[in-house]
Amino acid sequence: MDPEQVDEFVMGYLKKKGFNNAAKQLQEALHHNNGGTFNSTDYHNDPELTKLIRSFSQSENDPTRYRDGYSKLRSWAYNSLDLYKHELLRVMYPVFIHCYMDLVGKGHTQEARAFFNSFRKDHEMIHLRDLQKLEGVLVPSHLEEMEFARSLRQSKVNIKICQYSYDLLLQYLHRTESTLMLGIINEHINFQVYSGQPNSSSDDIDAVTIVGSFQETADHINQKEIQWGLLEDSLEDRLEKTGSLLSDSEKGQGESKDGDVDDSKKRSNEIGKQGSSLKKLKKDKAGNATAKVARQETSIVSPAPRVKPELALPVMSTDVEESILEDLRNRVQLSSVAMPSVSFYTFVNTHNGLNCASISHDGSLVAGGFSDSSIKVWDMAKIGQAGSGALQGESDTNDQNVGPNGRRNYTLLLGHSGPVYSATFSPPGDFVLSSSADTTIRLWSTQLNANLVCYKGHNYPVWDVQFSPFGHYFASCSHDRTARIWSMDRVQPLRIMAGHLSDVDCVQWHPNCNYIATGSSDKTVRLWDVQTGECVRIFIGHRSMVLSLAMSPDGRYMASGDEDGTIMMWDLSTARCITPLMGHNSCVWSLSYSGEGSLLASGSADCTVKLWDVTSSTKLTKAEEKNGNTNRLRSLRTFPTKSTPVHALRFSRRNLLFAAGALSKPAS
Amino acid sequence: MSIVPKETIEVIAQSIGITNLSPEAALMLAPDVEYRVREIMQEAIKCMRHSKRTTLTASDVDGALNLRNLEPIYGFGSGGPIRFRKAIGHPDLFYTDDREVDFKDVIEAPLPKAPLDTEIVCHWLAIEGVQPAIPENAPLEVIRAPAENQIYQQKDGPLIDIRLPVKHVLSKELQLYFQKIAELTLSKSNPSLFKEALVSLASDSGLHPLVPYFTNFIADEVSRGLNDFLLLFNLMHVVRSLLQNPHIHIEPYLHQLMPSVVTCLVSRKLGNRFADNHWDLRDFTANLVALICKRFGNTYITLQSRLTKTLVNALLDPKKALTQHYGAIQGLAALGHNVVRLLVLSNLEPYLSLLEPELDAEKQKNQMKSYEAWRVYGAILRAAGLCIHDRLKIFPTLPSPSPSFPSKGKGKVISTEPNKRKLGVDSSENRSPHKRLIATDGSDGGPSPMQVDRPTGDANPPQNSVRPSSSEQASDGNAPESRNAKEKDGSKGRAITRKAILDQIWKDDLDSGRLLVKLHQLYGDRILPFIPSTEMSLFL
Repeated sequence: MDPEQVDEFVMGYLKKKGFNNAAKQLQEALHHNNGGTFNSTDYHNDPELTKLIRSFSQSENDPTRYRDGYSKLRSWAYNSLDLYKHELLRVMYPVFIHCYMDLVGKGHTQEARAFFNSFRKDHEMIHLRDLQKLEGVLVPSHLEEMEFARSLRQSKVNIKICQYSYDLLLQYLHRTESTLMLGIINEHINFQVYSGQPNSSSDDIDAVTIVGSFQETADHINQKEIQWGLLEDSLEDRLEKTGSLLSDSEKGQGESKDGDVDDSKKRSNEIGKQGSSLKKLKKDKAGNATAKVARQETSIVSPAPRVKPELALPVMSTDVEESILEDLRNRVQLSSVAMPSVSFYTFVNTHNGLNCASISHDGSLVAGGFSDSSIKVWDMAKIGQAGSGALQGESDTNDQNVGPNGRRNYTLLLGHSGPVYSATFSPPGDFVLSSSADTTIRLWSTQLNANLVCYKGHNYPVWDVQFSPFGHYFASCSHDRTARIWSMDRVQPLRIMAGHLSDVDCVQWHPNCNYIATGSSDKTVRLWDVQTGECVRIFIGHRSMVLSLAMSPDGRYMASGDEDGTIMMWDLSTARCITPLMGHNSCVWSLSYSGEGSLLASGSADCTVKLWDVTSSTKLTKAEEKNGNTNRLRSLRTFPTKSTPVHALRFSRRNLLFAAGALSKPAS
Repeated sequence: MSIVPKETIEVIAQSIGITNLSPEAALMLAPDVEYRVREIMQEAIKCMRHSKRTTLTASDVDGALNLRNLEPIYGFGSGGPIRFRKAIGHPDLFYTDDREVDFKDVIEAPLPKAPLDTEIVCHWLAIEGVQPAIPENAPLEVIRAPAENQIYQQKDGPLIDIRLPVKHVLSKELQLYFQKIAELTLSKSNPSLFKEALVSLASDSGLHPLVPYFTNFIADEVSRGLNDFLLLFNLMHVVRSLLQNPHIHIEPYLHQLMPSVVTCLVSRKLGNRFADNHWDLRDFTANLVALICKRFGNTYITLQSRLTKTLVNALLDPKKALTQHYGAIQGLAALGHNVVRLLVLSNLEPYLSLLEPELDAEKQKNQMKSYEAWRVYGAILRAAGLCIHDRLKIFPTLPSPSPSFPSKGKGKVISTEPNKRKLGVDSSENRSPHKRLIATDGSDGGPSPMQVDRPTGDANPPQNSVRPSSSEQASDGNAPESRNAKEKDGSKGRAITRKAILDQIWKDDLDSGRLLVKLHQLYGDRILPFIPSTEMSLFL
C-alpha cells in the first residue's frame, strides 16, 4: 500500500456513511501494516494523521461524544464574531437534529433524550413543531417509519453562508479535531458559499432550506413553465370591452356574445379533440381581443397574458353572465385608502360543532358543516328581508324547507355519516359540495334541498373540496395524501394528484382553471397542472401545516396561511415567497383576495380579520432589493371580533367582504 | 428515557390480562407506546385543525383512532371537559371520576331542556374600513385617533406628515338608534318602551359615537321645550342613563350638557300646566347634578364651585321666583352636607326672614305662591335638618343622662306620624322616613286641607322672628318646646364646660352644637325629628 492509496482510503472512509465498520477495518489495516515491512513509517511520520485515526478508534460508539462535540461547537458558535454569528448559528439546528437521530439510530435512547432536552431550547423558537415531532422518536425503527425523520435523514440542508463564515467553521472543526461534527456537517449540510459580506440575519427564510434531495426535485419541478395568465375572453375582459363600448349599440355586444356562446358550445362538443379550426378561430379571437386591448391602453395598465383553457369549460347561461357583468360593473374599487365593508355572519348556539363555514359568491347563502354530519344552509337574503314583499313569492315556494315546527330558518342537509369538514358553493349558488370524514363528497342542490350525487374515491377523510371558478369541476383533498379533480357528471375522479408527503389539507383553483394549488401538512404548497396531473410548482417556506390558500384574481400570486398565523405571498412563476405577512398569532383559517387583487383579507383563530395591502408588498420588493430594508408589516387594518374565530371569508364580486365564524365562549 | 415508564406498561398489561410480561418486554414496549401515543395525538391535532378549533377534544382523538382503523375509546363523548382527579397519596396518578348511574334515575329524570338551535346573526364588522361601535363588535378602547394613520404615513415617506381630517362616520344602525331614542323621548306616549330605551342607553357599549348628538339633542330640546314638563323629565332621564353607561366617555361633552341640566333645576317655570309636578323634576335633576359632581368633580375641579356659585346666586336673589329658590336649595342639598353647611346655613337667617311673609297664608293672597313658599321652606328645612343630622351623627354616643327626654322626643315624632301618613298618601310620594317628615312640614301650610298642623305652622314663624336672643322667652304655651329649649341650654352649658376640660378637638362639635341651637331658633320643633335621640338628649 502506498501513501496515495491510504489517503484515498481515508477519504473514502470519511465519505462513507457506515462509519464504525470502516473504522475497524482501518484499524485492522493499520495493524497489518504495522506488522508489515513497507510504508508503515508513513503513518508514524505523520502525527496528525495518526492522531486522527486514533481519535476514531478511541471514541468509537461512545454516545457522550455527540454531546461533547455539539456543546463545544455550540459554545464556539455563540462566542463567534457578531457579524458571522447568525450564519454559524444556522448550522446548529441541522447538526442538532442529526446528532439526536444518530444517537437514536445507534440505540442510545436515554442519552438521546438527555441530549435532546438539554439543547432543544435553542431551536424551539423557530423549529418548535419539528422538535415536537422528533421528540417522539426513540427507537431506531421509528426513524424508518416516520416519514419526516426519513426525509431528514435522506436529504441535505442547504445553507447559504459567506466565505469567511465557512472558513471559520472549517478551521474550527479541523483545529479541534471534532471529526464527528465534521462528519455530520459533511453528510447533511450542503453549503452554498458566496463571497462578500454576510447577509443580514433577517432574511433567513430562504437561507436555510431543508430537504436537499427533495430540494433538488423541487428546483427541478419549479423550472417548468406555467401559464399563470387569465383565460382569454374572460368576463373581466368582456367587461372592459363593454365598458369602453358602452356608447356603442347594444346590438354589437349581443352579437359578440352570441359568437361566444357558439364558440363555447363548439368547445364543449369537441372535448379533447381541439380541432385546428377551433384553434384558428380562437387565435382570431385573441387577435381581436388584443387589438381591442391595444385600443384602450389608457384604461388597462399592464394587460396580463391570456391563456387558453385546457379544460372544456361549462357554458354559462346568459342571465347568469349578465348578473355577473352587472356585479363587476358595480364593483367598488378597493385600495389601501378605500377599505371594504365587512359583513360578519356569526353562528350562535353551535355547541362547538361547527367545522366549516362557506359563503356563496354573492354572500346570500351561508353553509355550515357540523361535526354531527349535518350541513345547514341559511339564505341570508330571506332572513334579512323576511318581511319585504319583493321576496315574498320566492320564499313561499321554498317554504317546504321549513321544518314541521315551522321555526327552523335554515335548510338541513343530511346524508353524511361523519363530521363535515368542508363545504363549497358553485359560483351561481345552485349547488353545494361537502366533504366529510366518511371519505365521501356529496353534491347537494340548493333548489331541491336534496342530495344529488355521492362521490366516492378517497380512502380517508376528505379535508377540503372546492368548486372551480366556472363550476362543473371541483377539486378535493384528503388525508390519503392525494388531491383529486372531479367533474359533477362523473362519480370517478378525473385526475389524482399524488406527491405530498403528508395530508393534503386545503385546495384552491387557479383563476384560469388550469391549475390547482394544494397545501399540506408537510408544510409545502404545490401547484398541479389539471390537464396532465403533474406537479408544476413546490412552494417551500412554511413552518407548519398549511391551512388556507387564495389565488390573486390576476392569477399571478398566491397567498397561503399556516397554523402559526404566518401568511406567505408567493409568486407563481418563480415559486418564491415575496413576503411573509406576520401578524396573526393563531391558525389562519381563511384567505380571500379582493376583486381587483389589491387587498388580501385573512381570518384567523385569534378572532380577527386582517386586511393586507398586497399591491404595495408586490411592488415594494424591487425597492426593497435596492434599499435592503425589509418592511414586512403591511397590515392595513385589524378588525377584532367579539371572541368569534373567523372560519370563512369571501369578497363578493362587488367587493363586499363577507366573513363567518362561530361564536365561542371566551376561555375564562 | 421514555415518558411512559415501564411500570405503566406492566399495569396496562395486567389490566388486560397479561400476567407474565417480562420487564425487558415492558422496557422495550415503553418507547414504542410513547411513539404511538404521539402519532395518535398528531393525527388528533389534524382533526382538530380541520374542525377549525384550537382546543383538542375527545372526539378528535376518536377521529384519529378512526384514521388508524382503531376502535374509538368509549365513554368520553359527552363533549364536556373531562375532569381528572388526583389519586390521594400518589403525586402523579390521576383518574376520571366515573360515577355509577342508576338507570331508574336516568329514566325518571325530567327531560332536559332542548338546546337552542343554531342560528346566524349578521352584523357589520366594518364599514368602509371603520369598525362601528356596536354591541356585536369588540369594544374599542378609545375613539381611534388618526395616530395610526399618521404613523403609517410616516413610515412610507418620512418627509410627508399629512394629517388626515378626522372623519366621523356614523353607521346606519347608530343613526337609526338615535332616531328611535329621540322619537321615544319626544313622543311620551309609550312609557314602558321608553324605560327599555333608557336601560339600553345606560348599558349599551357601542353608543359612544352618538354622545355628541345626544348632548346636542338634549340642549336643543331643553331650550325649546321648557313648557313641556314631561319632555323635560324624559330628557333628564336620558341624561341620567348616559351618565350611567360605563362605556360612554361623556366628560368632553359635560360643558354642553350642564346648562340644560341646571336649567331643569332652577328654571323659573317648568311645564305650563298646574298639574305638572315640576318639584319632582327639580328633585330628580338635583340628584343628577350631584351625580355629575361626584363623578367628574375630581377631573373638573371648577365644576362644583361654578355650579354652587350659580345655585347660591339663584337662591340669594330675592327677585328670583320661589321655584328657582327651591331648585337651588335642592341642588345644593344634593351636593352634600358640607355644601349645605357652608352655603345654605350661613344664609339661612336672612333667607328665612325673606321667606316668612310668603309663608303666611293669611297675608299671602295667592294660594299658589304660599304653597310654593311652603315647598321652599320644607326643602330648606330638610337640607338644614339633614345637615345637622349628619353633623350630630359623628358624635360619640354618650350615655344618655335621662331616659325621659328621648321618650319625649319620640313622643313628638309620633305625634306627627298620623299627620304624615295622611300627607304621604296625599302627595303620593314615596320617600325615606326623613323625607316624608319634611314633606309633611313642607306642605303644611299648603293649600291642601291641612287643618291639623295649621296652628303650629301659624305659631312658629312669628316665634322665630320675635325671639332674637332668648329661647325661653318666646315659648308661648308650647310646653314640650319650652322644655326642650331649656334642656338645650343646659346642654350648651355642659358642652362649654367640656370644652374647658377637653380640647380644641371639640370645637367643631361645639360649632354643630351652636348650629343646632341656631337652627332650633329658626325652626323651632320642626328640626327635632332630624336629631338622633341620643344627641338630642345631649343637646336639648
